[in-house]
Amino acid sequence: MSQTKIPVDLILSKLAEDAEKAQSRAQKASEVLLDDLDTEIAQTAYEVVYQEDRVKLKHYLPRTEIRYQTPLLVVYALINRETMLDLQPGRSVVERFLEAGIDLYMVDWGYPTRKDRFLGFDDHINGYMDNVIDFIREKHALEKINLMGICMGGTFSVIYSALHPDKIKNLVTTVTPSNFDTKKGLLHVWMEHLDVDRVVDTYGNLPADMMNLGFLLLNPARLMIDKYVGFMENMDNKQFVENFVRMEKWIFDSPDLPGEVFRQFIKDCYQGNKLIQSKLEVDGKRVDLKKLTMPLLNIYGKYDHLVPPEACEQLVKQVGSTDTEDICLDTGHIGIYVSSKFQEAFAPKIAGWLKERDQIPQKKQSPPKKTAATRSSAGLKKTVHKANPNKKNTQPAAKPKSSRSRNASKATHG
Amino acid sequence: MNQKNEDPLGMATMLNTWMKSMGDMWGNMAGQWGASPGQQQAGAKADHGASPKTQAAMAAALKNWQSMAGAMAAPESLTAILKGSGAMPEVLLKLAQTSMGSLVELQQNVLQRLGRMGQSVEAYQFQDIDENLSRVWTDIYQKEFQQFFRIPQLGLMRTYQEKGNQAADKYNLFQSTLSEFLNLLGLPFSRSMQVMQQKLGEMAESGELSDDTKVYYNMWVKVLEGHFMTLFQTPEYVETLTRTVNALADFSAARNAALEDMLSALPVAKKTEMDDLARELFELKKRLRRLEKAQK
Repeated sequence: MSQTKIPVDLILSKLAEDAEKAQSRAQKASEVLLDDLDTEIAQTAYEVVYQEDRVKLKHYLPRTEIRYQTPLLVVYALINRETMLDLQPGRSVVERFLEAGIDLYMVDWGYPTRKDRFLGFDDHINGYMDNVIDFIREKHALEKINLMGICMGGTFSVIYSALHPDKIKNLVTTVTPSNFDTKKGLLHVWMEHLDVDRVVDTYGNLPADMMNLGFLLLNPARLMIDKYVGFMENMDNKQFVENFVRMEKWIFDSPDLPGEVFRQFIKDCYQGNKLIQSKLEVDGKRVDLKKLTMPLLNIYGKYDHLVPPEACEQLVKQVGSTDTEDICLDTGHIGIYVSSKFQEAFAPKIAGWLKERDQIPQKKQSPPKKTAATRSSAGLKKTVHKANPNKKNTQPAAKPKSSRSRNASKATHG
Repeated sequence: MNQKNEDPLGMATMLNTWMKSMGDMWGNMAGQWGASPGQQQAGAKADHGASPKTQAAMAAALKNWQSMAGAMAAPESLTAILKGSGAMPEVLLKLAQTSMGSLVELQQNVLQRLGRMGQSVEAYQFQDIDENLSRVWTDIYQKEFQQFFRIPQLGLMRTYQEKGNQAADKYNLFQSTLSEFLNLLGLPFSRSMQVMQQKLGEMAESGELSDDTKVYYNMWVKVLEGHFMTLFQTPEYVETLTRTVNALADFSAARNAALEDMLSALPVAKKTEMDDLARELFELKKRLRRLEKAQK
């Protein structure tokens, strides 16, 4: 019987070496953690131009000359927050869009409270979204605007575009689930058996902590262990710590999900898979994907464990549009937006695709009648939101349509 | 008939079952310890590195236990054990019978699990999830204890007592379901450790052991991740997850109902009252929005 040789001496000396390194790292880490850390997220300047209940419309201050005739509205999911698109300067989808000359608006869904539990698809899509879009159309005197949806916000955007095709010029969907009949993603497997009525009737809204725990359980080894081991190994690196904390801030900045939205999303989408079959009904109207006739750009991640490619790739085959493009990137659900590498591929691609389809739109013949939306905006005090609230800002609120130089934009940052 | 008269509560049968299962357990364990290294399966290799002398001593001890359990299970021994039990008040015996019944059931499950000790570890396989072991707690609670929380309440405080009991009952059910769920979540950890033992053994045999501890950590995380991914797709996990979420929702609802009763004595609005108000506002706003859209 052969005797196995185990390099015990080497292993022990390596352990001793590691212990010394850990001690030195801990000393440096304490300096880093006690130092002033820049962990602010969503630092790009914007102004709130419209508000209805908890929902706000952000308009980002242009950084360069607006080079697009049609503004772009980005609709994020009701899960987590839109700040993911603007995590930090230099690693921000928002910055890239602004630098490309896009006139950019974004919906901030706010933090739903118990009173929002009864708000469903109809209230969010035909209510808030429609009012926001009418506001932008009226402001720019345009028939149609560009719409970009992210994740559940993409699903909302698909539904909206099918119900109101006359208001959308181009549609961009990113990591957007439309086909829910797949076993590839764990969410799809788990949601199939969820007793959503019991959960919603008990909690009203779906508690954010419950949702976050569910997301962590999708990969506990990486998200609950390895991630923090990585942090411990790099906590003497200030830049790493700042980036890590920014990400943590975003991940756990989770609003509750309005109960009726959750109920409909689970029953009609995850369990009924009605959207892709054009069987979904919102406020009694059928969402017919064939009515989605505007150009469509559909982007998703090959390694997305939340919304797998199988959940996204069916959309272009079902819509009525003849101008469609499907792009599958070699990344995951979040990597598309936060990874510098993929931002370089993702944001310029969208900007270029929109530019190709940015013919001068037909101006509206007459402005629409005043709606609740326009009334809300008329009384809204414009405030420029900056990265650092302690810094004084003496610049007036920017006029969105006017061209601004990069320096002028910088000035608003104080 | 005579036997029935002597042991009206079935203690002898129960004890006999218990003794027999004890005997089986010690027999199983003795078998495991006595088996030659060649006969032992792969996963047990690392655990059974004891010397032949130790093995023999352990096997002998276990056989002794088996013999003793067998002797105790003999009818004459049982009669001796049971002698005098008739003098106990009947109500105490009934309580004891309830507890013993549950204990025997629990023990049988434990024994079945112990009998599987030493079986091979197959990486990323969860076909043999033993949900019964953790499920048995829920079963025992539902069979033996839940009924006490369902005793009809009487009198002026009836409603409040009933809601309090329901909250306690749902809490207990949630706890037992949660323990099942956590037990499942623990499986990938134990499996990944076993797989790591095998891998380390293989690396040691081929002389590929690294002196960098990070290598082992990375290997373990990868194995652990793989086990989690496999577990999460199993019907057992999905079923337990669903039951845990449901049990939590049931407990929260029962707790809220009991708390709302207490709140009614205080000058604050209850959640249900605020919900009613929110619904009314919601419906009014919706009607207003429709009217505005119709006017456009």
